[in-house]
Amino acid sequence: MAKKKHKKKAFEIRWKTDLPYKYSMGKLSVKFFKVLKEERKLLGSKCPKCGKVHFPPRAVCAECLVLMTLDDMVEVPSVGTLVGFTVVNYPFVDPQTGGMRPFPYGYGLFQLDGVDTYTMHFINEKEVKNMQIGQRVSAVFKDKDEMEGNLGDIPYFEIIEEE
Amino acid sequence: MAKNEVGIVGIGQTKFTSKRRDVNIPEMIYEAVDMALDDAHLEPNDIDAILIGNMDHFEGINFSEMWCGIDAAPGYLKPVVKVATGGTTGSSLGIAGYYNVASGIYDKVLVVGWEKLNEGGATTGIITAFDPVWERPSLAGALGPLALMANMYMNKYNVSPETAAMVTVKNRGNAANNPFAHLQMPDIDLDYVMNSQMISYPLRLNDCCPQSEGACAVIYANEQEARKIRDNPAWFHSVATAHYYAYGCDDVMFDLPTATIASKKAYKKAGIKDPIKDLDVAEVYEPTSWAELSWTEALGFAEKGKGGDLIKEGITQMGGELPVNPSGGVLSTNPIGATALLRIAEAAIQVMGRGDKRQVPDVEKALGMGFGGSLWTELVILGNEPLR
Repeated sequence: MAKKKHKKKAFEIRWKTDLPYKYSMGKLSVKFFKVLKEERKLLGSKCPKCGKVHFPPRAVCAECLVLMTLDDMVEVPSVGTLVGFTVVNYPFVDPQTGGMRPFPYGYGLFQLDGVDTYTMHFINEKEVKNMQIGQRVSAVFKDKDEMEGNLGDIPYFEIIEEE
Repeated sequence: MAKNEVGIVGIGQTKFTSKRRDVNIPEMIYEAVDMALDDAHLEPNDIDAILIGNMDHFEGINFSEMWCGIDAAPGYLKPVVKVATGGTTGSSLGIAGYYNVASGIYDKVLVVGWEKLNEGGATTGIITAFDPVWERPSLAGALGPLALMANMYMNKYNVSPETAAMVTVKNRGNAANNPFAHLQMPDIDLDYVMNSQMISYPLRLNDCCPQSEGACAVIYANEQEARKIRDNPAWFHSVATAHYYAYGCDDVMFDLPTATIASKKAYKKAGIKDPIKDLDVAEVYEPTSWAELSWTEALGFAEKGKGGDLIKEGITQMGGELPVNPSGGVLSTNPIGATALLRIAEAAIQVMGRGDKRQVPDVEKALGMGFGGSLWTELVILGNEPLR
């Protein structure tokens, strides 16, 4: 039997559809984004039992099993420390958009001053040699009239020099 | 206390590869199930209940236990329960199988884990497993956080990338002795790892596990049934699970505290005082080369930051005091829903003395580990005699 020159293309079904979902993000996140947009401030949640400050704000303290309410939200500074970093350099479909997420991009773990938990977010640095664990960082906000009340209002963290 | 002693009496696994375009999911599951039933000389009717697991949304499917689990698993007219806990899916399955038999509810249970990773987008699917508001925007699947962990680990303990690369060399070299392993590399060297592309600093391509397709099936029986089936079951000595906070960023992402917590529980129940001396082999769930260094420390095999010494001194190499991942580990084979079940199945193979070229001599006790979720650990310790 003659060898086939080209492999026959596999059977393929293609379709495109919208799958709209809604997500209730919870009381604490609603307040966080309202205050972020209107006052350009960051709020965390503080456990009334153990005093642990969670950022991003969490509804329940895992260790105490205590519900945190709007009254337990406390302002946290927008500056902190770089705890870990990487530069993501591989392609994948972003489920947030349905398209490819642009890469490479800097991505880090941050600890804001006075906060007990850590925050994962973008960092505006793609050169590994410019980053070091322990560097001081600051959240960068969009201009006030561009704020939309979502996480995109803090597009990234940046490395800062402190006096 | 468990009501019944529980033994593993049958094991099946497919040859793992990057793509199994020749089979659909039920056909693929059937291969492993058929092999496990043959191995235990059982018929589908001999099985009382089925536990099945995969991570549906990594493949863009859903409710797979309904359309994949009933015919091929074989769940027809039997109780079928789906277990899906991310990377730990296979170990959650393995531990749930133990509970089902140890409790006396069922005499014989079949556990099936599988994944057809290249038919979907695992990175995309993994992102959807995280908080839509806070975590999805920046998360890059599993490798981003694993890169952060490796970055923090190397910085805190001053460990070189070459030390991590030795893990890949060891495990993919071991995989050459495992006919089922996906990436078998008898001639692998350090340059192969160190010269591969940087995909998420400090992770190079060959510091990372592959995406594999395949299935693993394991049959459990209580003592009375197990002794009828074979003379060398692998007996459960202890199981332990430790889950952590919900967000990946609630705590620092290294030193795997859940492995320390779970191993203390599992060692105590199994009477293990010094894991290096008391265990004969360990199948550790290492998604990256760096992870095996850190996880083996968390399991108490070495001091913090000294995981690399285990390889340099030959302790975790084949022929060492405690070989780690004779099968080739996750760095060689990663079909997510089957990955942690393979750790238990391979530990059982070692205890049964059926490892052929990958067999460690005279194994009496073996450890299998699952890792996943938000820094979750699950452990199983097996022995060649029941623990009385």
